[in-house]
Amino acid sequence: MEQATNGKMTKLLNKPLRVFTIYALLVLGASIPVYYLILDGVWIHELDKHNRMIKRKIEGKFAEITVNDTLLQQTLHLWNGVGAGTDLQSVSDGILRKDSVYTVTRINHFHAKEREERFRGLSAYFLINGKPYRLTVETNVEETDEAIADIAFVTVIFFVILVLGFILLNKKIATKLWQPFYTTLNQIKGFDLSSQQEITFEKTNIIEFEELNQTLQKLIEKNISSYQEQKEFTENASHELQTPLAIIQSKLDLLLQSEYLTSQESEIIEATHKALARASRINKNLLLLSKIENQQFIDTKTINFSQLINDSLDFLSEHIEWKNITVEQQIEQDVMIEGNKFLLEVMVNNLLLNAIRHNIENGKIKVAFSKSHFVISNTGNSRSLNHNNLFKRFSSTSTETPSSGLGLAIVKQICNRYHWQIQYHFDQSQSLHGFLVNF
Amino acid sequence: MKILIIEDEPELAQSIAEYLKSENYLCEFAVTFSEALEKVTTYEYNCILLDLMLPGGDGMKILEELKKQDKQDGVIIISAKNALEDKIKGLHLGADDYLAKPFHLSELAARIYSVIRRRQFTNANVIQQNELQIDLLAKTVLIHDKPVILTKKEYDLLLYFIGNKNRVISKNALAEHLSGDFADMLDNYDFVYAHIKNLKKKLTEAGCDNYLKTVYGTGYKWEND
Repeated sequence: MEQATNGKMTKLLNKPLRVFTIYALLVLGASIPVYYLILDGVWIHELDKHNRMIKRKIEGKFAEITVNDTLLQQTLHLWNGVGAGTDLQSVSDGILRKDSVYTVTRINHFHAKEREERFRGLSAYFLINGKPYRLTVETNVEETDEAIADIAFVTVIFFVILVLGFILLNKKIATKLWQPFYTTLNQIKGFDLSSQQEITFEKTNIIEFEELNQTLQKLIEKNISSYQEQKEFTENASHELQTPLAIIQSKLDLLLQSEYLTSQESEIIEATHKALARASRINKNLLLLSKIENQQFIDTKTINFSQLINDSLDFLSEHIEWKNITVEQQIEQDVMIEGNKFLLEVMVNNLLLNAIRHNIENGKIKVAFSKSHFVISNTGNSRSLNHNNLFKRFSSTSTETPSSGLGLAIVKQICNRYHWQIQYHFDQSQSLHGFLVNF
Repeated sequence: MKILIIEDEPELAQSIAEYLKSENYLCEFAVTFSEALEKVTTYEYNCILLDLMLPGGDGMKILEELKKQDKQDGVIIISAKNALEDKIKGLHLGADDYLAKPFHLSELAARIYSVIRRRQFTNANVIQQNELQIDLLAKTVLIHDKPVILTKKEYDLLLYFIGNKNRVISKNALAEHLSGDFADMLDNYDFVYAHIKNLKKKLTEAGCDNYLKTVYGTGYKWEND
C-alpha cells in the first residue's frame, strides 16, 4: 500500500487507536481511587465485624466465669501489658457508653521495621461484676499508600495488556475488515477514462463498502458514457460540418468563375478560400482525433520506419528547400516499428511540418532516429514553448502562424495509443526546439 | 458526356452541375438511394459521382449493383466520411476514385476528366491540343512532336489544367492538389507559384502557346477554345 505522502497524514485506523488508548488510560486511571475506596471500605467493614466478634467472645466469656475484682485487676494489668491488640480497662467515670469505631495510625513496635501502621479499632463498653469496663480491639489494616500502589501496579499491567490488544486487533481489522475498501481504492487508482474499461467491484457484505462500490460504479458508468457521448459528439459534429463546408467551397469555386469579378472581389474570395481551408483542416483533424480516441485504425503492421521518415522528408523537400533549411540526418536504416501506417505517417508529417513551419530562414532541422527513440528538432524562436499546454488542443494556435492547433494533440494521441513517451525540450544556446519520442 | 450526380444535398449537386456544364458534360441528378439505383441500372453514364450516405440506403450497394451488372460506368465516390476503410472497400468494389468532402470543384473536374479518359478505349491515352500532345500511359509531353521533360508535379499540374479548361482555379485548390492535406498548414502558397512558373517556362520555351494565364489575385486559368 502506498503510504500517505504528507507526513502529517495518518491512516484512518490509527486515529481511533490513539483515542481509544487515551480513553483507556483515563478510565483505568480513574478506577484506581475507586478501587481503593471500595477495597478499603470492604476491609474496614470486615475488620469491624471481626473486632465486634472478639468483643462478643470476651464479653460472653466474662459473663460465664466468676472472678473476684482483685484477680480481675491483676489479670487485666498483665493482659493489657502484653498488648495483644485488645485492651480492657475499667471506666473511671462509671458511665457505660455506646460502642464506637475508629482508625488510628501509629508506630508498630512489633514490626521488624518499626514503621507507621494503620489500625482499625473498636471501643466497646460492658459490665463485669456490675462495673462498667471499656474494651478496645485494634486490628492492623493495610496502609493507604501501599494499597494504592498495589492497585496502580495491577492497573498498569492491565492497561498495557489492553493497548497491546488494541494494536493487534487494529492490525487484524485493518487487513481484514478494511480489505474491500483497499481493493476498491486500488481499482479506482488504476482507472483510465480514455480506455473505456469499466470497473467491476468485488461484492462485500459490509453495507458501507457495498454502498461505496455501488456509488462509484454509477459514477464511473456515468463518466464513461458522458465521455463516450462527448467523443461521439465530436465525431458527429465534424461529419455534419463536412457537407456545409463542401457547399461553401463549391459556391466559392463557382463564384470564382464569374467574368465580372473585380480584383478586390477576387481578393475577398481568395481570403475566404484560405479561411475555409483552415476550417476544413480543423474539422478533419478533430475527426481524426476522435477516430484515434475511438480506437479506430486498428490494423497494425510492421513498418519500415526509416523508409517512412525518408519518404516524408522527400515529400516535404520542396518546402524545406523553400526556406533554405539544412536537414541533418542520423537515421538508422531499416528500423521496423509495429503500428498503423497511416497514423505513423501522420505523426512524422505533423512533427516535420511543424519543424518547417516554425523554422527560420536558413535554419536547421535535425532528424535522429534509432530503435529506441526518434527526435526531430528545429531552429526557431528563441523562447521555449510552454510545456504545460503544448500538447493540448487549440493551445498553440497563434495569429502569426495559423494552423489547426491540433497537430501536436494528434501526435500526442498517437503516442498514447502505442504507449510511447513524447517530450519537448529546448536548447537555449542553439534556439533548438526538439521533440523526442521514446518507443 | 453524361454524368450522374448521386447526392442528397441539392446545393452541392447544383454547384457541381453548374461547374461541369461548361465542359459539355450533361448532368443528371439522383437524390435518394432508390432513384439512384433505378438510374444506374436503366441508363449508362460516363461518370457517376456517388455519395455514400444516401436517404434510403448505403451507396456501397449501388457499387455492388454496378459490379453485378458488369456496368462500365466510371465511378467517383464523394463522401463526408473520409474513412480509409470506405475508400479501400469502394475501390475494391470497382470505384475509380475517392474524394473526401469538402473538395474543390476543380479537383473534382480533374478527376472526372481522368476517369473518363481511362474508361474510353479509343485514342484515350493521348490528349491532343493543338501543338501540345500528352501521352497518359507513357506520361510524356510532346510539343510540336518534341518531348518536353516535366517534373512529376509539373505534369500533375498540366493535367489538372487540361481537366479544368477555361476555368479559374484558385491557388488554394492547386496547393491542396500538390500537397494534399498539408496545404493549409503551409504558411504561403509560393511553392505553387514556383511550380507554375517552371511549367510555363518549359512549355513556352518548347514553342507552346501561352495557354496558362494568371488571374490577378485569385489563381490561374488554362485558356483554349
